[in-house]
Amino acid sequence: MNQSIFSILVLLLCLSGCAVSGNHSAAKAVPVHPSAGDADFTNVPVQKTNDPLQRLNRSTFRFNDELNTYALRPLAHGYAAIVPRPVRTGVTNFFDNVNYPVRFINSVLQGKITRSAQETGKFVVNSTVGVGGLIRVSDHISSLADVPAEDFGQTLGVWGICPGPYIVIPVLGPSDCRDLVGFAGDYAMNPLNWHTLGIIHCAFISDAVSIALSGTRFVNGLPKSVESYDQLKAEAVDPYVAMRDAYLSYRAAQVKK
Amino acid sequence: MLLHRFILRSALVLFLGSGQLSGAASGDDAAALLRGSVEEVLSIAYSGHTNETLAARVRPALEKCFAFDIVTRQAMGRGWRQFSATEQKRVTDLFSELMIRTYSGRVVGTQRPKIVFGSPVATASDRCEIPTRVTTSSSNDPIAVVYRMIKLPAGWRIYDVLIEGVSFVANYRAQFDELIQKGGALAAIRSLEAKLAQPLPSHS
Repeated sequence: MNQSIFSILVLLLCLSGCAVSGNHSAAKAVPVHPSAGDADFTNVPVQKTNDPLQRLNRSTFRFNDELNTYALRPLAHGYAAIVPRPVRTGVTNFFDNVNYPVRFINSVLQGKITRSAQETGKFVVNSTVGVGGLIRVSDHISSLADVPAEDFGQTLGVWGICPGPYIVIPVLGPSDCRDLVGFAGDYAMNPLNWHTLGIIHCAFISDAVSIALSGTRFVNGLPKSVESYDQLKAEAVDPYVAMRDAYLSYRAAQVKK
Repeated sequence: MLLHRFILRSALVLFLGSGQLSGAASGDDAAALLRGSVEEVLSIAYSGHTNETLAARVRPALEKCFAFDIVTRQAMGRGWRQFSATEQKRVTDLFSELMIRTYSGRVVGTQRPKIVFGSPVATASDRCEIPTRVTTSSSNDPIAVVYRMIKLPAGWRIYDVLIEGVSFVANYRAQFDELIQKGGALAAIRSLEAKLAQPLPSHS
């Protein structure tokens, strides 16, 4: 089943018109600051975006907005009221630490050996001194602090695969074809999903435990996600375009790191 | 999926380079002034005032250091040239108001961030970029913030801020482009008025 989904995603990526070249991109690089000759500062072109599914995407965006308003925001506020911020941070740190294989494998796949060694160092230090990853002790070690997190979407970008069309996914939000495939790849590399995928069989991890862990991770991240979305919506005159531009620019910058 | 990390990490940092920047002749001078301005604005922001009073308190400082007119022109893009002088003034006022409100909304309810300044990079004879790394209480990882500055007759001014590679003015330019093509200056003014009429979101 999971292989089928992955195959569909790969097919989507291929059908999106992607090629292993930089000629087609969701956000074509254009200068975003005025040249010295642009006297009135208005002659900078708008970034061209690959958004052929805009009508569908806007509908999905509206659905996600309603979902955020009537379900996720109340849930996030309730969770934040019950669970104090330090505990939420600890839970986030734990799941980030468990996600180490994703960052390590993708660093290796991108040929960033030093970064993969740093990720290993972070994992060892945080898992031991940081009490199973709850505390990010590595932040206080200069050589292990501020290591950019790699994922499979970035790996595909480094390999020269273009982002493809912009897509808004129900519940999850903005993405593009490349990141959709990357999401599936990261899912498979995350140890929390190995039991579900049948990669490992552990007697004390049942499907229920696996689902509970995924649910905890999702709910724990909700307060931040909802706050972020509310901020963007409050500041944007067109939240859909603001989200799309920010997402594509952000991911393009991450690939270059 | 990943955008919420960027947006949240950008909290606080959009306007942290505010404060008066004047009289500097090189990128190094701009960086030194930016450093002083950050300290000035943080002192105002973390002096325990509420959201409402903070917006009013930081407004004069922001108006002196930010090239609001240039930021607005960039955000409106080519559509700016179609505006009448009255419309240009109105859009500049409204967009400046939105920027100040954005700043106030982001600063309240958070702890004072740590900022590390990089070396300025000259991009033209009268322009430079100053990279910084900002660590906030709400984010584990430092946020990359680049200030784009221009030397005007009145002194150095900030004309764009890039947070994790996302340009503030480019983001707004993308939003306004279609709006202005369809409805001209009136559409831009109405959308800004509608946005400013909405309440700020509350923090979790």
